[in-house]
Amino acid sequence: MTSIRKAAILGANGTMGSLSGGIFAQAGITCLFFERTFEESKNGIENAVKQARSEVLREYIIPKTYDDLEKDLPDCDWIFEAIAENLSLKQEYFQKVDRFRKQGSIVSTTSSSLSIEDMAGECGEDFKAHFLGVHFFNPPGKLLANELIFHQKNSEKFKTFIEEFCEKVLRRVNIVACDRSGFAGNRIGFQLLNEAALYAEKYGVENIDYLLGPYTGRALPPLATIDLVGLDVHKAIINNIFEHVKDERHDSFKLPGYVQKMVDNKMLGRKSKTYGGFYRYTENKEKLVIDPSSFEFKKMENPKNDSIEKIKLYIHDGYYRKAFDLIKNEHSNEFTMIKHFILGYISYSFFRIGQVTPSEVGIHGIDRVMSYGFSWLPPSAWVDFFGGPGETVKLMERSDIPVPEHLKILPEGKLCRIPEVTKYLIAN
Amino acid sequence: MRSKVYILGGYQTDFARNWSREGKGIQAMINEVMDGAFTVTEIEPKDIQAIHVGNFAGELYTMQAHLGSFPLNYDPVMRGLPTSRHEAACASGSIAALMARAEIEAGIYNLIMVLGVELMKSVDAKTGGNFLGTAAWYEKECRGIEFPFPKLFDRLYDVYDELYGLKYEHLAQISAINYENAKRNSKSQTRNWYMNKKHACSTGDYNLTIGKRLRATDCSQVTDGAAVIFLASQSNAQNYAKKHGLQIENIPYIQGWGHATAPIHFDDKAEEAKENEYILPHTRRAITDAYKRAGLNGPDEISCIETHDCFTITEYAAIEHFGLTKPGEAWKAIENGIIDFNGKCPINPSGGLIGVGHPVGTTGTRQLLDAYLQVSDKAGDYQVPGVRRAATLNIGGSATTNVVHIIGSDS
Repeated sequence: MTSIRKAAILGANGTMGSLSGGIFAQAGITCLFFERTFEESKNGIENAVKQARSEVLREYIIPKTYDDLEKDLPDCDWIFEAIAENLSLKQEYFQKVDRFRKQGSIVSTTSSSLSIEDMAGECGEDFKAHFLGVHFFNPPGKLLANELIFHQKNSEKFKTFIEEFCEKVLRRVNIVACDRSGFAGNRIGFQLLNEAALYAEKYGVENIDYLLGPYTGRALPPLATIDLVGLDVHKAIINNIFEHVKDERHDSFKLPGYVQKMVDNKMLGRKSKTYGGFYRYTENKEKLVIDPSSFEFKKMENPKNDSIEKIKLYIHDGYYRKAFDLIKNEHSNEFTMIKHFILGYISYSFFRIGQVTPSEVGIHGIDRVMSYGFSWLPPSAWVDFFGGPGETVKLMERSDIPVPEHLKILPEGKLCRIPEVTKYLIAN
Repeated sequence: MRSKVYILGGYQTDFARNWSREGKGIQAMINEVMDGAFTVTEIEPKDIQAIHVGNFAGELYTMQAHLGSFPLNYDPVMRGLPTSRHEAACASGSIAALMARAEIEAGIYNLIMVLGVELMKSVDAKTGGNFLGTAAWYEKECRGIEFPFPKLFDRLYDVYDELYGLKYEHLAQISAINYENAKRNSKSQTRNWYMNKKHACSTGDYNLTIGKRLRATDCSQVTDGAAVIFLASQSNAQNYAKKHGLQIENIPYIQGWGHATAPIHFDDKAEEAKENEYILPHTRRAITDAYKRAGLNGPDEISCIETHDCFTITEYAAIEHFGLTKPGEAWKAIENGIIDFNGKCPINPSGGLIGVGHPVGTTGTRQLLDAYLQVSDKAGDYQVPGVRRAATLNIGGSATTNVVHIIGSDS
């Protein structure tokens, strides 16, 4: 494959299908949006147009139904699958794709949980050689991270082509990830999110979101993030990782019982306006927060902690070093917990080098996915702000956080290569 | 003999950032841009002898004036330095640089920091549009008018159309080139936006007509951003070169400059346009003064230009005012590719105000930084090959304050 002129998007009505397909169309590639009906396909086109904020995008997208697969797939250079997360369904579609696709065409899946090798199981050798995982983050118009999951049947030439194409033509920030549940971003991100949900049962939702708020290097507090993602999606990701992965923080991937009950009661987060999630808005736009023990929504109490407010002021004025020194040197119960999460995030990330991203890229792959995919301060930036690897190791030891070997062996000096990471420190 | 005034480098913030959404104020932006500038140049805060700040409307956007004093908060070692803030609407950053250059030429100081800063996303679009009206004669031209500036520049469009005729597709091409160039610039605001000439030619909800004819894609951006450059005397630059193993011949310096102010009222400009060879005679004068001071006869020895494209029509005017074409023939330079990134004289390889963004009081400083980067072959992915000399044109108001710089090296 030397160029991509035409792409097929399977599952083009879903959020990831339509918006990812839109990214191909924005690069001037003709896209065939496949769905069960034309109406669904056209809905997908509307999503893509809205993301690009241009009517011109319509010229690059053609609505199709799955009845057209046999006729149209032979012309496509890239078949981008984004159908429901169901192994047997995906296998069924991939077998059809294998029958109709031309030799050498690329086939990718957006699956974030199913094994790449399992999905391609029954397909032919040429299919397998050109099959890979391409995992955009939602919304891809704003989040540029792109996890690429290769497997042993992919040639080096193929990998190079994909990486260059995604970077230069689709303008993605590539992160080569290993074929493990949750890949790199979800594995690390959802560890923290779920642990925050576990802590919320004891300490309260609002309190946890305040203590681990945007000043700790994230666009949204953790439980508000789960509301945005959807509690059902959170559950699917967490359960998959819990089932397939055993690591030193396996316990933190156990879905809290109260979250399961919320899902059972249709409390899925922002998408369920009536039932809400961790938060719910009244008709008067008053924000309420759930009490995990009673399942009742109550008024926000707006907790305040003097040191946290001081840290936010430092961030507001751009005195980041002072903000981090305060985090380091505060020893109240609140800050013991805050450091447990921050140092836990750093520790968990460094432990994953070689497991979720190749060892040779060190922490940089994980840094990229956490910043460009989650809008979180990347773990190596925390190490830099804490004063380097040696200082961070000391902090971990004092907080009883397991110290990863990958961190211990690092020489002192600036580690983070992401530009202007301070943008992830939010003073609101 | 006057000292040559060198540029030792500098830094700009990522113009895609929204500092209000990050919960940050103007001090944070100043701290970050200074941190970046001191880091990349390896200049130390203690060596700075004076500071000139360019800022348009801190009082309006952030309720904060007196911005000359804020850089001192970066490092106590700078306390006591002479500082000042300069305002000339969108040309504020260039005026700050002119003042710094004059002080060095006069032998008063040897190393000056010029800092442009503007935080604009602190207010909604309509409020911000109204604030921008203060760059014109607000009482006569802007009061009670929604988004007054696109409407003022629509009048420049009218003048061109009346005198020479003007096809919109040429303006759309200018917009498309700026957005395309901005995609190569990792600090530009629009680097990940969807844009092409077809979109620029479209109208509708995604490309609203803001003035009478100018559309959203003809406008520069509302941007938060800051930029710093360090200006140095010849002796200071020589010491800097020695310390860093550089050749003084390779360090860019200000070869020429021009500064001319037109009547602020657009009615007066429109009258002048009919009586002169050039539609904006004072813009032309700033350019020819800069050529003269640099010992140039025209644009032939300019490798690339960073011009003021607050609107596409402004860049259209700049093309002929720089002398790339005869008056009324700017369209030829657009059609024959002269201003393209790979053309004979690329305009706005950075992406310009339309692509990089336009934090009003910062723009002049940012343009000088980009000229420095081009001449010193440090512009990375948007480097124009073999730049020997770069020009900047920074305009305040409706082509009222005009400042031109020509930056080159002796290599």
